[in-house]
Amino acid sequence: MNLNQLVWRNLLRRRGRFIFTLAGVSVGMAAFVALMTIGQGLKDEIKKQAQGLGANLVVTPKGWCAYEQISVLTGEQLPSAIPMSELAKIRAVPGVKSAVPHLNEKTAFRNQPVLVIGIWPEEMRALQKWSIDSGRYFNSPDERAVVIGAAIAKQFKLKPGDEFTVRGKPVPVIGILREAGSKDDIATFIPLALAQQIYDVQDKVSFIAVQVSDLEKMEATSLKIQEIANVAVVTDKQLVSSVLSIVGSVGAAMQAVAAVGVLAAAFGIVNTLLTAVHERRREIGIMQALGSTRRTLFLAFMLESGLYGLLGGILGVTIGVLVAYLFGSYLTDNAFTASLHQSQTVAFDSGTILLTMGFSVCLALFAGLYPAYRATKLSPVEAMRHV
Amino acid sequence: MSNAVIKLEKVSKTYGSGAAEAKAVSEVSMTVERGSWVAIMGPSGHGKSTLLQLIGGLDRPSAGRIVLDGSELGTLDAAELAAVRGKKIGFVFQFFNLMPHLTALENVEIALWLGGGAHSKGRAMGLLERFGLGDKAHHLPSMLSGGQQQRVAIARALANEPDILLMDEPTGNLDSGSEAELLTLLGELHKAGKTLIMVTHNPTVASHAQRLVHVKDGRIEEDRCNGV
Repeated sequence: MNLNQLVWRNLLRRRGRFIFTLAGVSVGMAAFVALMTIGQGLKDEIKKQAQGLGANLVVTPKGWCAYEQISVLTGEQLPSAIPMSELAKIRAVPGVKSAVPHLNEKTAFRNQPVLVIGIWPEEMRALQKWSIDSGRYFNSPDERAVVIGAAIAKQFKLKPGDEFTVRGKPVPVIGILREAGSKDDIATFIPLALAQQIYDVQDKVSFIAVQVSDLEKMEATSLKIQEIANVAVVTDKQLVSSVLSIVGSVGAAMQAVAAVGVLAAAFGIVNTLLTAVHERRREIGIMQALGSTRRTLFLAFMLESGLYGLLGGILGVTIGVLVAYLFGSYLTDNAFTASLHQSQTVAFDSGTILLTMGFSVCLALFAGLYPAYRATKLSPVEAMRHV
Repeated sequence: MSNAVIKLEKVSKTYGSGAAEAKAVSEVSMTVERGSWVAIMGPSGHGKSTLLQLIGGLDRPSAGRIVLDGSELGTLDAAELAAVRGKKIGFVFQFFNLMPHLTALENVEIALWLGGGAHSKGRAMGLLERFGLGDKAHHLPSMLSGGQQQRVAIARALANEPDILLMDEPTGNLDSGSEAELLTLLGELHKAGKTLIMVTHNPTVASHAQRLVHVKDGRIEEDRCNGV
């Protein structure tokens, strides 16, 4: 018999109370884990998409709000609103290295919605540093052909030479892009002129991705563009933070739920241990008569509390990860996540496990302090008076 | 060298304060020789148990000095006092006070652990066998008779080979058969040189002791050798 054995025996004495207290801790920690993984997954994904854009500045029509800005990142259909004449002006602004127009549209292929993005082939390839997985890239800026993302190729089992249709018009597939982990995987690309012709939007584009030649002068370049053209300009960082502000509002509600869950779990531990101290006050007296120091008693209750934290942490991480994978997309249902694969919204790593376990144990130890202190304050005589 | 193992000098214990002040033990002085068997007798609520708790270091006196096997209890801090309880004293209680969720064997083992001495692995089992409880080692206290529980309690009290056994109504909850068995056992321990101090109501039980101390209103009323 030693301290560990005694603590373990004490923990399992009241099975019902043990299970319910543990369930409380597990649920609290599960909420914490789900929040961490889903929230972090979203942030990572948004940042990745912003990087995938390859631009420092995004030129948009005036009056766009965050909803449209999200679509820039996800490649969703966008109104075509910037005339080509403005594009020419922007390309002439000093400090603009490249300005690549995008026309974001949607088509139905085999009754499934598919993104179609009109681009300038050479400029787009330089901006995205694309590589081709199979087939070839566009030969000329007005070739009647489509280059498709890796996920689309997989979904429809398409290979170079197959026929794709845009708004019912046949367009041959000439190449498949290497998987990039961004929205490019779930989009198809055709030359801008072709897109404008098929969608009947002469002379207009959805937005323009701009690369500046000097990052230091980004702000000045942005102002200059707005001066000469009738457009709005956001930096890539502004784009990310404005998207995060929408997604973040979902996070705040979840954070509150998780905080309440965690707090309730801690109170559950305090409650269970205070009851245990009261129930065992005679045993505490016996242990003192047998030579137990107050330190041993304190340790025994702290260990018991810590075990609730450890076991609750293990269960909580398991449940939380399951919840995040199964329901992550529902919990964070919004315009941004709608276009992503479910698993993409969940970021799960060993850091999160360790953080949660550590947090769970620390929380439990903190919750155990008061009951453990109460146990040491019992005098052996008082304790044995209760029969 | 004096042969006194316990020495009390004008020991008092007061509960409460002011008008509500109650003296449980009042200026008791006594000496207990090593290897003697003392019975403390007297009416309920007159300070017998309190006296035993003071001697055993479970409680501290309001005034006076208690010297136990050379160390003055008043000068010890809480941890040192715990060590004295664990190593030098074995307690036996009226209600056995076994840990209800631990087996007989574990009840003895927990005393070995808390007393902190280094003991061979089989010591706890050896003690139970010595008291005829070898086959009950893995039983919970609730599955044992009163007499068996009290023998487990004595095995536990002896776990760390203390010189002194302090017993509060050890036969209070036993039938006459178990009582006789227990008294035989105590007789053997007495012969083996242990110092036994027991609080009891029962004159028959007390008659086995060498020395009878009568307590009334927290004071020693009579202190005499048995049979004199």
